[in-house]
Amino acid sequence: MPDPALELRGLTKRYGAGVVVGPIDLTVQPGEFVTLLGPSGCGKTTTLNMIAGFVAPDAGSVHLAGRHVETLPPFRRDLGVVFQDYALFPHRTVAENIGFGLRMRRIARQEVARRVDEAMQMVRLDGLGDRRPGQLSGGQRQRVALARALVIRPSLLLLDEPLSNLDLKLREEMRIEISTLQRRLGIATVFVTHDQDEALTMSDRIAVMQGGSIEQIGAAREIYEAPASAFVATFIGTTNLVRGTVASATGGTLLLTTTAGPARIAGPGHYPAGAAARIVIRPERMKLAKPPEVPACATAWPAQVIRLIYLGGRTEIHLRLQDGSTAVSYVVNEGSIRWREGDTVAAWFRPEDAWLLPS
Amino acid sequence: MTLSRARNGGAVYLLAAIPAGFLLVFFVLPILMLLSASVLKSEDMVPVAQLTAENFTTLLSHKLYLDAILRTLGIGVTVGALVIILGYPLAYVLTRTRSRWQPLLVALALSPLLASVIVRTYGWWVLFNRDGAINGFLQTMGLIKAPLLLLPSTAVIIVGLAHALLPYGILTLMAALNGVNPNLERAAMSLGAGRLRTFASVTLPLTSSGVIGGFLLAFGVAIGAYATPAILGGPGTQTMATLIYSFMMTLLDWSLGSAMGVILLASSFAVLALTMLAGRRSAS
Amino acid sequence: MSRRIAPHRIVLWTVVALIYAFMLVPIAITATVSFNAVDRSYFPPRGFSLHWWAMAMSPQWTGPFLFSLKLAALSAIATAILGLPLGLALRRPAFAGRGVLLALIMGPLVLPSLVTGIALLQFLTIAGVGDWLGLPALIIGHVIICLPFMVRTLSVSLESIPRNAEIAAASLGASRLVVLREVTLPLARSGAGAGMIFAFISSFDDINLALFVARPGQQPLTVQIMQFLEYGFSPTLAALSILSLLVPLALVAVFGRLVGIGSFIYQDHGHA
Repeated sequence: MPDPALELRGLTKRYGAGVVVGPIDLTVQPGEFVTLLGPSGCGKTTTLNMIAGFVAPDAGSVHLAGRHVETLPPFRRDLGVVFQDYALFPHRTVAENIGFGLRMRRIARQEVARRVDEAMQMVRLDGLGDRRPGQLSGGQRQRVALARALVIRPSLLLLDEPLSNLDLKLREEMRIEISTLQRRLGIATVFVTHDQDEALTMSDRIAVMQGGSIEQIGAAREIYEAPASAFVATFIGTTNLVRGTVASATGGTLLLTTTAGPARIAGPGHYPAGAAARIVIRPERMKLAKPPEVPACATAWPAQVIRLIYLGGRTEIHLRLQDGSTAVSYVVNEGSIRWREGDTVAAWFRPEDAWLLPS
Repeated sequence: MTLSRARNGGAVYLLAAIPAGFLLVFFVLPILMLLSASVLKSEDMVPVAQLTAENFTTLLSHKLYLDAILRTLGIGVTVGALVIILGYPLAYVLTRTRSRWQPLLVALALSPLLASVIVRTYGWWVLFNRDGAINGFLQTMGLIKAPLLLLPSTAVIIVGLAHALLPYGILTLMAALNGVNPNLERAAMSLGAGRLRTFASVTLPLTSSGVIGGFLLAFGVAIGAYATPAILGGPGTQTMATLIYSFMMTLLDWSLGSAMGVILLASSFAVLALTMLAGRRSAS
Repeated sequence: MSRRIAPHRIVLWTVVALIYAFMLVPIAITATVSFNAVDRSYFPPRGFSLHWWAMAMSPQWTGPFLFSLKLAALSAIATAILGLPLGLALRRPAFAGRGVLLALIMGPLVLPSLVTGIALLQFLTIAGVGDWLGLPALIIGHVIICLPFMVRTLSVSLESIPRNAEIAAASLGASRLVVLREVTLPLARSGAGAGMIFAFISSFDDINLALFVARPGQQPLTVQIMQFLEYGFSPTLAALSILSLLVPLALVAVFGRLVGIGSFIYQDHGHA
């Protein structure tokens, strides 16, 4: 089996007495697209900088295609990096920018020109070879940065929030473009972002980071539907989080008491009676009905509709539960909306629609 | 949003008129007088109303004076170059280091500016003179028998001036280096450029205006320096500044002094013009 | 995992250390020389004596020293008084003659102070006020060369005043004069303070201009030292030089942080 494209073992960075990153363990397979997702300050950019060699780790190791590289300077690591501010050389033309890495590898001039042209076509920048970065738009500069990193066919591509300086429409376009290119070229990629939509759209796997460590790593579906911690649950999408105490465990179902009402949750039970836990219910899994309509084994909590927010494709319904806390339910807009502000409803969900996190 | 700007405008002119007038009377007028004195004959210190190009022809043909002018310009160029060459590594380290001693190191690098030129030049004299530290060291080591006459000489003047003007170069270069996006250097390295290559292809070209600016600043100050050439130089190593002093205070030939002053002035203007040209080019 | 310091770092820091040595050693030498037991500026010093320091504080030298202090203080104050109206006037982005005014103020920065000195000497003599030579002429000359710094620091300071602060004050009923007194001037204090520090140090350390417009009995320390250097390099002069270094040092150390002098230094040389 081939070596992973990237492997991080115990990678750590300290600042003073505290730890900024680590220890981090991560493996990226050849051709895989892995995203480091997290809020600012979570250490994702520092991790990227250590992979690239811009920052020296305090402990741990970095392996690229099986080689120890953490003691090597950036210019010996065979990487392609796309920076948040693109970092294009202002005193060089677009073609010279893109060809820079090739010239560093002592590739013959004609070959450089050929591959630069090919790269420019790949990112749809044909004809702009003689312009300077200052004459380009944000989106064009982004594509030059991408071409510059890809043309050298690195064994690993690193992208540090490359889309955050673009406006929404352009961002969505570029997401797809980068994703397509990456799949076509099959280059292992590490992508850093704080935008969960980007992570969900582009990645094979997402590593959710907080406070310098990876809280959970997995495919988009796994991260969303089975978050490993309250942080992951609330960082990705919206979540209803209710505290409860385990009353009993029967078969595969746990019965909990909460201030919002009793709850029946299915799932692995490592929770003894009396244990405190938090119930996670995604808004699209929480449904509303009149009390008699609720199915038998479902959990139903009395609630009052306090607000309806129309979002085009769906409506967000904000509820007040019997203990005064709020919950959110998503309803797909298929016609008219059944509920109105002030309505008393039963907010219900099936045992398999929710899961537990330790308190 | 009315602060009666129109009425206020008049008050501003009035306020600024006094200091502006001060400058006109005590700066512009004297310079104009200098210019006119340079083309007048002088008798007993005072220029008389007799136009002549004699002052300039004397200065530009007499070997002693012409040598001094050329020597001064040569000193300026060499000092400028030295300031850049020595100042760049220091500026580079000061702007790139993440050490917590950085502010202290910057203050240390700029501290010589607090001292009068005399303080700084004195030390060089102690080192280079006939009974000085360098000669003493070489003699103790047995490398020479008789003391070397290192002073007075143009070389030592250059060393002294480069030393005195280094902080100016460091300041200019630091400003230029701070203007370079650090990600550019990282980008170059990630693409395979080694440290030297990154410096040559990215950092240096992007700080070229700072390099030129620093050079011209050092040149401009060096040509007008008096104390260092006076202390470290001698009758055989006159500069424009030392000659001006002897013309004005010893020989009391103020017309000649004015003429030399005008040549010095012209050199400064040339520097100013070049600086503005370099500035305009880098803005494009 | 080994944490070696990369070789290129060692080279760079070695070069830097050597350059620092180049910069600071001559000043250190001047200081040590002043402790010689003999009346010569030997280095390494022969013997140890505080004799020259005592000489440096004798009336012969305290006179010029105090004169320099007085001159610097007066110059700093005069520069501030003349600089403030200019700073305020230059806040307006464009008015007839702005370029000329700016050139007038910054001119002395570009020209060697030597030239300004001889021009002033000649002018005052021919204008018949030769008796201004000495303190009055020195103050005039120093104000001219210090104004550029003062106007720059003031401009930086004034620019940092939020425009709306003055408009807000006016909308609350303050007259133009009150706005100036209560809002503008207090906020420009740091600029004026930093400018005065620069002016004081420039005046105290100046030699090129003072050389020409001083007169016997009214000579700053620098000129006096320069003249005595003709007679020989006595350690007394070394001691005096170091003493004169301590004044600007003390000034910056005590007042520097008060006016936030760091930010002005960087601003100042962004233009070179």
